[in-house]
Amino acid sequence: MGLLSIIRKIKRKEKEMRILMVGLDNSGKTTIVLKINGEDTSVISPTLGFNIKTIKYHKYSLNIWDVGGQKTIRSYWRNYFEQTDGLVWVVDSSDIRRLDDCRAELHNLLKEERLAGASLLVFANKQDIQGALKPAEIAKVLNLEVMNSSRHWKIVGCSAYTGEGLLEGFDWLVQDVASRIYVLD
Amino acid sequence: MEPEPDQPKVAAGGGHRKHLAMLERLSKRSSSSAGAPPSDSSDASPVEAFLSRFAGAKLAAESALSACRSDDATASLAAAAAAIDNIDRLIAEASHALPPYELRAALATAADLRAAHRVAASELRPKKSFSFRNKSRNLKNPPQDHVTASPPQQPPPEQPKPSLDAILPGFGFRGKNGATFVKDLRVSNDKDGDFTLADLVSCEVYLKGKCRALYIHKLRDCRVFVGAVLGSVLIEDVQGCIFVMAAHQIRIHEARVTDFYLRVRSRPIIEDCSGVRFAPYVLNYEGIEEDLKDSGLQEETGNWANVDDFKWLKAMQSPNWCLVPEEERLQTVNISEFHEQEDDS
Repeated sequence: MGLLSIIRKIKRKEKEMRILMVGLDNSGKTTIVLKINGEDTSVISPTLGFNIKTIKYHKYSLNIWDVGGQKTIRSYWRNYFEQTDGLVWVVDSSDIRRLDDCRAELHNLLKEERLAGASLLVFANKQDIQGALKPAEIAKVLNLEVMNSSRHWKIVGCSAYTGEGLLEGFDWLVQDVASRIYVLD
Repeated sequence: MEPEPDQPKVAAGGGHRKHLAMLERLSKRSSSSAGAPPSDSSDASPVEAFLSRFAGAKLAAESALSACRSDDATASLAAAAAAIDNIDRLIAEASHALPPYELRAALATAADLRAAHRVAASELRPKKSFSFRNKSRNLKNPPQDHVTASPPQQPPPEQPKPSLDAILPGFGFRGKNGATFVKDLRVSNDKDGDFTLADLVSCEVYLKGKCRALYIHKLRDCRVFVGAVLGSVLIEDVQGCIFVMAAHQIRIHEARVTDFYLRVRSRPIIEDCSGVRFAPYVLNYEGIEEDLKDSGLQEETGNWANVDDFKWLKAMQSPNWCLVPEEERLQTVNISEFHEQEDDS
């Protein structure tokens, strides 16, 4: 993030944050966004493109970009990288077979220069399902500790089905982004 | 005659050329019967001027090229390139005035010099690019070391898998050939669990009750009947199968020649599929209504036919899927009489 864009953001009356939600298909990205926005989550089709939601969160206005995770459209993720303040990586904690794919896609994403400044929140979703891996186990499998020195990150267990953990995750993300961007408050 | 010892070759070449040019000019003059004297004089002097300048430029280029083998090769190489460029320019400027032979000879000389320059450059640059390559190898080597170092890091992530498979034997059927599985999720304690079917060949699977999520991977020629899934179904790499299932979301990847009898709250999606067909849900067993209702699946939404193909974004019908013609569809399948058997495994 350049100095100019920081200044621009400070000057802006409406304190906006741009949040990008990505992750493999079937991880629950859309469900998380709808749940946190208090919407009905009982009928959600797999995302064909992307959804944008603007959510008031404390004194901030979150622009959440929820981008489909099907293999065919993962290559379009990069079209959404620009100006991202916070990155949310959603993991299906009960899909143990695809965790290797998950790790590969995540580390591929984190190489992206345009995301270098973004805080990373990893949601270990579907914790309500028996047999789901715990956040600490997911962190180990995804090899998250390699970013310790290079990026602000946190993993939070959650359930988009029950709503558990979602606020904890977003609280951390918003705080972390705010402390970086709106440092002059 | 004093310059001759210094540049014998050039002078000799120049002499030849002058001679030949003279011959050419003579023949030209004789061929153009009404050739006007003024044009002749203007014709002769540019050629001679060109030839002397060309000889000088050629000498400069040659000496620069020979200097390339000694000290300060880079500078000489650049000088040679400049000299050759100068020759090219001379030829271009004089080309309209030059007789054909002279032009051809000059162009050939320039080409020779360019080739010599290229040789000299390639003799020199290897040193440069070699060191550069070494550098890039040095740069590449650490990552390679990382790569070789990372496999030890990678196995740990993979280790949880077998242990998890060991922890969750009741959560799925894996790696069987020609078996029949019946599972009543209502009587087991893992109501809120996920269920996995993986690496099955020619198997029949009957799942009564509800589960939270269903993962299906690598099935060949199987028939799978599932009660209610209060979440999503993820299907990958199946062939020659029949699936009868009810779920909130269904994602189908890499399926070939497979029929799906679905009740689904949202639109099913396919990706990298071919020859897949869709029809409405046809499963029945005692108590299925309750299971479906508890899972919010009592309603027939008709979404079983609203398939989205990620590999077909045109408005027209995807060639990868179609509906099962009504006369070919399965009749209602009642599995009330199927009960769990311990000898399945």
